[in-house]
Amino acid sequence: MNVPTEHLLALAAILFSLGVLGFLTRKNLIIVLASIELMLNAANLTFVAGSRAWAAEGVTGGSPLQGPIFSLFVILVAAAEAAVGLALIIALYRLKQSVALDSAGELKG
Amino acid sequence: MAETLFYLLSIGAIACGAGVIRARMPLFSVLCLLGAFFCLSGIYLLAGFQFLAVTQLLVYAGAIMVLFLFVIMLLNLGDENEIARQSGIALSGKQLAVAGTSAGVFALIGVLTAGYGIAPVETASTRASGIDELQTLAVELFSRYMLPFEAASLLLLLTMIGVIAIAKRQRAGEPTHTGAGFPWTKEPLDEESTL
Amino acid sequence: MDTSTVSLANELWFVPFLPLLGALLCGALHLAVLRRRKAGGAEAPLQALAGYVACGAIALALGIVVSSWSTLLGGAEAIESGTWNWIDAGSFDIGLSMVFDRLSSVMCLVITGVGLLIHIYSLGYMKGDPGFAKFFAYLNLFVFAMLMLVLSSNLMGLFVGWEGVGLCSYLLIGFWYEKGWPAEAGQKAFIVNRIGDACFLLGSFLLIRLFGTLDLSDVGASVQAVMGEHPGTIALAALLLFGGACGKSAQFPLFTWLPDAMAGPTPVSALIHAATMVTAGIYLLLRLNPLYAAAPSVMLVIGFVGALTAFIGASTAIFQRDIKKVLAYSTVSQLGYMFLGLSTGAWAAALFHLVTHAFFKGLLFLGSGSVIHGMHEEQDMYKMGGLRRHMPRTFITFVAGSAALSGLPLMSGFFSKDEILAMAFASGGLHVALWLVGLAAAAMTAFYTWRMVALTFFGKERFDPEHVHPHESPATMTVPLMILAVFAVFGGVLNLPAVLPGAGMLHHWLEPVTKLGDEILHSTGHELHHLSALSEWCLLGLGSLIALVFAHKGFHAYTSGTEADARARAERPDAVGFLEEAWRIDSTYTRRIVRPIKLAAFLVASVVDQLAIDGAVNGAGSFATSLAQRLRGLVDGSVKNYALWMGAGAAALALSWILI
Repeated sequence: MNVPTEHLLALAAILFSLGVLGFLTRKNLIIVLASIELMLNAANLTFVAGSRAWAAEGVTGGSPLQGPIFSLFVILVAAAEAAVGLALIIALYRLKQSVALDSAGELKG
Repeated sequence: MAETLFYLLSIGAIACGAGVIRARMPLFSVLCLLGAFFCLSGIYLLAGFQFLAVTQLLVYAGAIMVLFLFVIMLLNLGDENEIARQSGIALSGKQLAVAGTSAGVFALIGVLTAGYGIAPVETASTRASGIDELQTLAVELFSRYMLPFEAASLLLLLTMIGVIAIAKRQRAGEPTHTGAGFPWTKEPLDEESTL
Repeated sequence: MDTSTVSLANELWFVPFLPLLGALLCGALHLAVLRRRKAGGAEAPLQALAGYVACGAIALALGIVVSSWSTLLGGAEAIESGTWNWIDAGSFDIGLSMVFDRLSSVMCLVITGVGLLIHIYSLGYMKGDPGFAKFFAYLNLFVFAMLMLVLSSNLMGLFVGWEGVGLCSYLLIGFWYEKGWPAEAGQKAFIVNRIGDACFLLGSFLLIRLFGTLDLSDVGASVQAVMGEHPGTIALAALLLFGGACGKSAQFPLFTWLPDAMAGPTPVSALIHAATMVTAGIYLLLRLNPLYAAAPSVMLVIGFVGALTAFIGASTAIFQRDIKKVLAYSTVSQLGYMFLGLSTGAWAAALFHLVTHAFFKGLLFLGSGSVIHGMHEEQDMYKMGGLRRHMPRTFITFVAGSAALSGLPLMSGFFSKDEILAMAFASGGLHVALWLVGLAAAAMTAFYTWRMVALTFFGKERFDPEHVHPHESPATMTVPLMILAVFAVFGGVLNLPAVLPGAGMLHHWLEPVTKLGDEILHSTGHELHHLSALSEWCLLGLGSLIALVFAHKGFHAYTSGTEADARARAERPDAVGFLEEAWRIDSTYTRRIVRPIKLAAFLVASVVDQLAIDGAVNGAGSFATSLAQRLRGLVDGSVKNYALWMGAGAAALALSWILI
């Protein structure tokens, strides 16, 4: 594949901004959680882009493997986060019979 | 050939991303997310990260996505009234402007970054097995990144316990929202008598 | 100091700390008195006990001083106590020890000797005062501080004593604070002294900078090494320390507190404001004589200040009506003489005058106290007259003190004052002008002294015989008067002029202390010139003549009554008023300094504080409240809004990283 690194980064930025938009605007908690997953994937993509550029330029000292390894950790954290988030959604649904964000405003001060 | 494929996959990922946030029903949103995962997995493969691509498919598309779908099915969110209640925009006009500007800034940064992409970078073709060759990755992970790796395993364990504690169904007779059911709440507070 | 001639004696610590112990005991007794008074019991035994405790403490201290002094007589150069390491900060440390050398031995003998007499006198004078025990507590505390001042080996220890005597002076001036004005006089003394003390501290800081130590002997020893490099800094340090001495020793321009300090009980005036505390400035300069020897310009300033103060004080005393005011201005004037003596490098002469002054001025104050006591608290000389018949013992001793003060031939004051004037004359140059000023002041001194004697003890009885029955004071008061009178008359033998046999005892005694100063003076060509025998005789004769002539004038003008004053007032009201008010210096301070400061303080209190400070404080409060009122909208409990602000913040951060 013969693509500039910047194009990968641009794709990551666009996906991230889509995630931000969804995270900020949507009411449904499941869609909010999905937006977060989208942002995490955008972050992974930047790791990959950086690691790829590193490997191509043959920079000594350090390892191009740092990118994928961090991506792995991100996937791991994402999995944990999704699990907890979904559990919270279930708990909320039990309480309010709804998964809308507004229904969790009870701590309003 | 590979370049064309990259740009096609990029367009697919963006389209799926837009679908995630535009979808009216959570089920459709999650399916779009699945599509985005697939497209990204393809890009990883093209960039020379086979193991990461496979992990993306297995963990994200396989495990996490199933979790999402499972929850949607469990809560029966396909109900029309429920969808009407939950869909749509949660913000006022002014707030929407702030949100749009914030997201726009990130998108703008992305577009501007793309403009710098003059010199193409060739994915190292000298390595037949790609960049994240499984063996070297494993060596790295179990030597240099040993501590984060172990910490991550601990995190997963804690997540497991936490999720069970949160999502556990309360026994009958227990008050529902006093923190009862959480392992650290030994004695549920008697709300009526204290308030 | 040569270690072979220094002996170690830790009992020196007892010299200041016995009076401190006495002060604590008397304070406790005063509390007991207060409790018993509340309960309605008899308080007189407790009060009397306090008096005996205080006198006993001073007597014991005097005993130690005398025994240490006999060691010095045996040939030791100094006695030092063990060192207490007070402050230890890196390369700078302050170790405090008591040093009993030839200078401090003289000071200690005066302080404890005259102090003991005044304590005994106070037993009679303060009898029946409700604050009897408290008075002795303060008095003992004062003696403690004064002994710390003269015994301390370190300038910081000296400063502790310096501030301690200031505090006791404040407490004792305002002893009868219920009357109102004594409290104000105490405050005035304290505040005016503060100016001097600030100078003192600044001077000490300069000494630290110059020498890296405040140890008095080290400072003195290293002056010669430093004076070539930093003559300006040395002069500045000397000047600042002299500023401190000006405050404590009531020199122009800071002398205005001393006349007001007469509001205190008369024994206090005698002990603190004549014999001891006000001489602390002289002691400081004597102790630092190498420093002053290395700063000839400052010496000249000291000479000017001393002569001017001597002149102002003497001229003001001429028209005073209050017997204690006469003595107060006289003290100011005599202290001026001492500084004049110091400025010529006549260290021993200054100390000599300090000692004789402690005798005769202490005597005169105690005598005036006896008069005031016998006249039922009357201080106005216009309402006295003819008292010699009613209080003969007081009269005779008072005349002895007056003879010494006015410098009648062969009295102690005659020799000491004459030596200072002779040194000024011998120094030549500008000092000759100062000598003339001093001579004029001496003439006025003789005049006002005998005016005071005439107005008080001679002439018609101007008081109301129906209501006032003058009586002689009890023996506790007259015996100290007699002892002091003997010293006042014969104190001159301590340091007779060079033309007489047995001359210069004090001069030789002090030589080890002033050796360094004399060497520096010699090396810079400022050493004292010795007069020929002829000119010395001439000066002695001139001094005697002036004293006798003006004493006669003053005495005879006022034996008939107060008409001479009335005549002078009628002829030259402006001049008399000017002199009466001490050249209007105090009122000028009031008008030019005190009132503007009070006005500024009022403005600050009512405008700056009310509007700016309070406004800022209240404004900060209301600003926080209003800001919170606006900001609380952000924290509305809606997760959506929190997320929104988080996202906006992240976007702003990203943008700033791109742009900057």
